[in-house]
Amino acid sequence: MAHANILLSALPGSEAITPVHPTKCDATPRAMISAEKVGKRFGSRGSADAFCALKDVSMQIRQSEFVSILGPSGCGKSTLLRMVAGLVPCDDGRILVGREPVVAPVPEIGVVFQTSNLLPWLTVGANIRLGAKMRKMPRAQIDARLPGLLDTLGLTQFADRYPHELSGGMRQRAAIGQILLLEPNVMLMDEPFGALDALTRDRLNVELLRIWQHSTLTVLLVTHSIHEAVFLSDRVLVMSERPGRVLHDVQIDLPRPRQPDEIKSDPRYGEYVSDLSRMMGVF
Amino acid sequence: MKRLVETVLFWIVVGLIWEFGVRWSGTPDYVLPALSQVFEAGWQMRAQLLSDTLATAWEVLAGFALALAGGLLIGLLASMSSIARRTLYPLVTALQSMPKIALAPLLIVWFGYGFASKLAAAVLFAFFPIVIATMGGLAGVPRNLDEHFRALGASPAKTFWYLRLPAALPSLVDGLKIATPLAVIGAIVGEFIGSEAGLGHLIVFATSNAQTSLSFAAILMVTVLAMLFYWAVDLVSRGVWWRGVTV
Repeated sequence: MAHANILLSALPGSEAITPVHPTKCDATPRAMISAEKVGKRFGSRGSADAFCALKDVSMQIRQSEFVSILGPSGCGKSTLLRMVAGLVPCDDGRILVGREPVVAPVPEIGVVFQTSNLLPWLTVGANIRLGAKMRKMPRAQIDARLPGLLDTLGLTQFADRYPHELSGGMRQRAAIGQILLLEPNVMLMDEPFGALDALTRDRLNVELLRIWQHSTLTVLLVTHSIHEAVFLSDRVLVMSERPGRVLHDVQIDLPRPRQPDEIKSDPRYGEYVSDLSRMMGVF
Repeated sequence: MKRLVETVLFWIVVGLIWEFGVRWSGTPDYVLPALSQVFEAGWQMRAQLLSDTLATAWEVLAGFALALAGGLLIGLLASMSSIARRTLYPLVTALQSMPKIALAPLLIVWFGYGFASKLAAAVLFAFFPIVIATMGGLAGVPRNLDEHFRALGASPAKTFWYLRLPAALPSLVDGLKIATPLAVIGAIVGEFIGSEAGLGHLIVFATSNAQTSLSFAAILMVTVLAMLFYWAVDLVSRGVWWRGVTV
């Protein structure tokens, strides 16, 4: 599942390139990620502060699908993402990535967190290389891929700068670049744009979509933003208050490739947003 | 340039106040000699002063190096194993609370009048801040970065070299800055208790012979030695510029 070349060719303004999956919404039926009646408790059983974070969570995410998880604060959506990443063990049920149950972090998965997690003492270029280095990717391979990736992310002039010299949006781009360099099959994103201003967030949404469109990447995104979820996703999973369960599974039938102005003036976009708001109990 | 001139002028003023304050108040020179007398005594005994300065400098440097090696080792051990942490940490805290100066006479008994006992005293004084700083720095690695490295599947060795060590460096260099003057104090205390050479020895010798000017000359040399040493450490610590930088 090597999408390197495809990914790196996703240059700005390259709409002319034919997407790999022109019909992503009804792509391959094989489940890339599946959670089967997953449960998670925190605190020791019976103690006063013990609580159930997730209960009977089941979901199926197909290869190359873009799925968002929406839910109120504290519903365990970040925990669920960490469980898929192999960072937090399941107490009940199991999670499969491909055909294998997840028990520890695996190379198929890359995780982008809300904090950019760049190391202040390394340049942006060195930070982007860091993940690949940790995963023992050969140096020649890293060197070959990096320039195209920097170009795709608009970070070429910033490669020799240090993270604190960059804006929050640029840092988050670098964080995404670090994960894309790993060429994972699955990218898990935990509110990656949550700390950014609205304009930067919109811009990064468009870029993320463009990169995803030109790859076979499967994305599972945790977000607070209904608009972001609708704009980006093939499907939105709405979770309940604690203990978190999947309450609704909403298919977003909006055409791709999506442009913000086109999508946001589409009446169905508004309907999805208001439907999801109702499900979330916003009104 | 302007700041340099200001600094130099300031010290000239301090020197002049000392010089003329002593002269005009008629303070006897065995209590507080004028600055010119201190320089004169130092110049007359320059060979002695230089050899004692070198002896002390050597004790300080060697002591500091040993304290650094030992402190890093213990700090690393404590950060790597929870058993080491549970056993070593209380021990280190208890030993640190002990007034180390109380051990100085024993050091003479254990290591003799020569170099070894001064080295031991310098190590004893400089060791604890380095251990504590190493432990604190390694324990203070941000959790989000720890989790990120885990998600990347980084090996413990790589996590140490690329994350934990650089993240601990700001704390470690702070510890070194605290340890630097303490190594000097340790060496001087060791020389006070019993010695044949070194600036501490010279101070005790000169004072007991009512050569207060020479004693002051030795004190000035200790001060210069400690300052030079501190500046060197400070210079190195500036390489660790990411203190407090969050991204």
